[in-house]
Amino acid sequence: MILVLLLHLLVAIALAVFHRRLDKRAFLLGAVGPAATLLWSLANYDGVVAGAPVEQLVSWVPSLDLDIVFRVDAYALVFLLVIAGAGVPIFLYSQRYFTASRRATIFAATMTVFAGAMVGLVAADHLLALFVFWELTTISSYLLIGYKDEEASARSAALHAALVTGAGGLAMLGGMVLLANEAGTYVISELTANPPPATTAVSVGWALVLIGAVTKSAQFPFHAWLPGAMAAPTPASAFLHSATMVKAGIFLVGRLGVAAAGSVDWWQPVVLTLGATTMVLGGWRALRQTDLKLLLAFGTVSQLGFIFLLMGSGDPELVFGGVALLLSHALFKATLFLVVGAIDHETGTRDLRRLSGLRRSMPGLFWVATAASLSMAAVPLMLGFAAKEAAFVALLDENVWWVAIAAAASTLTVAYTVRFLRGAFGDHDVDRDPVFGRRLSAGDPLLTSPGALALASVVLGLVPTVLFPLTDAATAAVTGVAKAGKLVVWPGWVPALAWSLASLAGGLFLAGRSDLMRRAGDRVATVSSHLPDAEHTYRRSIPALLRFADRSSSVLQNGSLPAYLAIILIVAVVAPTVAVLTQSPSFAVPEGGSLLEWILGGLIIGFAVALAFIRRRFAVVILLGGVGYGIAALYSVFGGPDLTLTQLLVETLVIALFAFVLRHLPATFSRPVTAQLPRLAVALLVGAFVFGAGLFVNAARQPSSVAATYLEQSVPEAAGSNVVNVILVDFRAFDTLGEITVLVAAVLGAAGLVIPVIRNGRTGS
Amino acid sequence: MKATRSSAILEAGVITVAGPLLVFSLYLLLAGHNQPGGGFAGGLVAGIAVLLVWAAGGTTTVRRVLPLRSTVLMGTGLVVAALTGFASFIPGLEFLESGYVEVSIPLVGEVKFVSALLFDIGVYLVVVGMSLGLIKALGEEGEPAEVGR
Repeated sequence: MILVLLLHLLVAIALAVFHRRLDKRAFLLGAVGPAATLLWSLANYDGVVAGAPVEQLVSWVPSLDLDIVFRVDAYALVFLLVIAGAGVPIFLYSQRYFTASRRATIFAATMTVFAGAMVGLVAADHLLALFVFWELTTISSYLLIGYKDEEASARSAALHAALVTGAGGLAMLGGMVLLANEAGTYVISELTANPPPATTAVSVGWALVLIGAVTKSAQFPFHAWLPGAMAAPTPASAFLHSATMVKAGIFLVGRLGVAAAGSVDWWQPVVLTLGATTMVLGGWRALRQTDLKLLLAFGTVSQLGFIFLLMGSGDPELVFGGVALLLSHALFKATLFLVVGAIDHETGTRDLRRLSGLRRSMPGLFWVATAASLSMAAVPLMLGFAAKEAAFVALLDENVWWVAIAAAASTLTVAYTVRFLRGAFGDHDVDRDPVFGRRLSAGDPLLTSPGALALASVVLGLVPTVLFPLTDAATAAVTGVAKAGKLVVWPGWVPALAWSLASLAGGLFLAGRSDLMRRAGDRVATVSSHLPDAEHTYRRSIPALLRFADRSSSVLQNGSLPAYLAIILIVAVVAPTVAVLTQSPSFAVPEGGSLLEWILGGLIIGFAVALAFIRRRFAVVILLGGVGYGIAALYSVFGGPDLTLTQLLVETLVIALFAFVLRHLPATFSRPVTAQLPRLAVALLVGAFVFGAGLFVNAARQPSSVAATYLEQSVPEAAGSNVVNVILVDFRAFDTLGEITVLVAAVLGAAGLVIPVIRNGRTGS
Repeated sequence: MKATRSSAILEAGVITVAGPLLVFSLYLLLAGHNQPGGGFAGGLVAGIAVLLVWAAGGTTTVRRVLPLRSTVLMGTGLVVAALTGFASFIPGLEFLESGYVEVSIPLVGEVKFVSALLFDIGVYLVVVGMSLGLIKALGEEGEPAEVGR
């Protein structure tokens, strides 16, 4: 599994690096990734379906419980097969769809990264690994959707998708952390085996994870990004928005649904309601589209709602239906997207008001589309029918109302399927400049890729029992229940069949009365124009968000160095003070002190007090230096030659650097510090804090075991008799390494800040 | 302070002092494991030597006498320090764990060579680079700029 992932990465890098030489064969090379996934899945098929998951573990940071764990059970295998099964034909199709160019090669690289991320997402058995792959799909899909980056609409659609799914991903991360904290593990298989008990934290955690899944799978009310994402080139739409990315959310709710439904009461009703709403809304909107691709997009929203509802419910029978529907949906929807892509590629439009007579000019494509459409409309003998029948049977066991809603949505599905087929291939009076297609040759990937997928829909529809072991094992993998449903070519005369046939008939009736539909649609549109629309809400929320960001940063980042310093100092004082005072602390005044200590102390205090009243900057710096040298002298009185040396050197260098800076500043302060009350207050606060901290630390002092150990071991362990140096370069060398790294970063930052200021000053600007 | 000031006597005097100072900084670095000193203190002394050179002739003289880039020094220092850490893996020790060998050098005698010294050299280079970088950045010649208060 790890090798498969690395192969994806390797292919993507090769594509990006050697894009000049690979232009012509970019997508063929890209197809290697999904092909490897496919081979891997088939090689491990028997074992996994028999109930023995493939597990791989790479220990990474064992002390933090961070391992790279992969675990492919039958449920993950379903998704792997979908990703690879759709991926290979889509890559081959892309080779013909794109004209060879540098950008297309980069596109192929991005698609490969995306495919790899999806494989990792479904195979990962660690919540954080899943999250990383999840975000990787978000980022790569952003690039794929925004491929036509010269178009503002494509850019904003890509941003929309990235913002919605990215925000959902962050929510999900929060949820994962909450859940993992309560459950005590980040390993998904352990989490689902022992779900955490229902506390408030767990409940919030599940809710956040659900938000992640809902946004990714384009569920109501976050569905609007998916139709927008149709700005992507069609192969990407076919791959991302039918087979893979949108299935990530479904994957997640399916994986965690049983645990969640068992842990919190609200999970099942919420998932069912969201799914049902999405299902009906998407179907309705699909009926009103004139762009074939948008029609499919809203259809996808609708189908995703149905699958989401089934998978997320946590009920074995429903999950069984969900898995079956997922497989059939990936097959027919990828086919149809590719068909639309071929039409677009050959005619230059996908507006169904302009296409006419394609049935005769592109007969091969017509039959491919028909086969897939029959599966989408769930006509008997097709895979879509077998899957939907399984879902209806399961829903009937739950509640008749759920079946009614699903049947209503199916009715809409049938209606928009007819609209799609008739719009794309039928003869009709076109509004303006009609376009006609051109016969595709038999070996053209534009035809063969969707053709292969459509053929799979038909064959599997005739023998759906072939899929039963996989579907059953996948259901058992997440629910623990085997034989939860049936996949048969003909269910016999059962109640569920009546619902199927009724929705089929209803859909055909609706499709026949398109005038009726249009009038009803107009009326609903008038009413719904008063309701908030998801797309519209998104558009309005972005400027509001930016305004909020502007305002909050103008308050927090106001550009005043004294204000920043004050905030830092106050926090540094207040936080520890509160922490100490809540512990009923004791303070101790150190006793005694030699005369020399008193003299040095008095000198330091004298310098410090004096510099507060002085207005000449240079004198202030000299006095500050005096304070520093005084402290160095104190170190030497206490017997710390190393500290003394370092303090003296630092002080010298700092005074010199201060002098450099002073050249660029006025010679005097406008007012002494004592005349600036806020600054004085902050300064006194810090002084009092440090004084109190000294007394507190003195009281808390106890014989340290660390010092003794270091002193003992310095010579034998590190062969050095200067224990201070030994600590720095040996015992605590890792700390020192961190410190010098910070030092370098600070110097680079300071130089970056200062140099432009000085240069500009010199040129007089 | 005008940038154009430069005095031959000052310059000659400063170079005379700066050379021994640099040697002293190396002494601090090498002696640091057993006596006061070490890479950090040694680096600061070298920094002060650079400061003296600056006092003699500004950043132009610094660039002439020490034609080194501060970023290169700091980068080398970090790399040396980190590599010392990784080198500990070769004899099977933990990251940054130190070891030592005793070498007898003719005329000098027995010398203990501690691997931590390499790490300290890294620290030294970082500190020298830091001083050099700050002096060059802040000590840029020119009319005092209006930087505001």
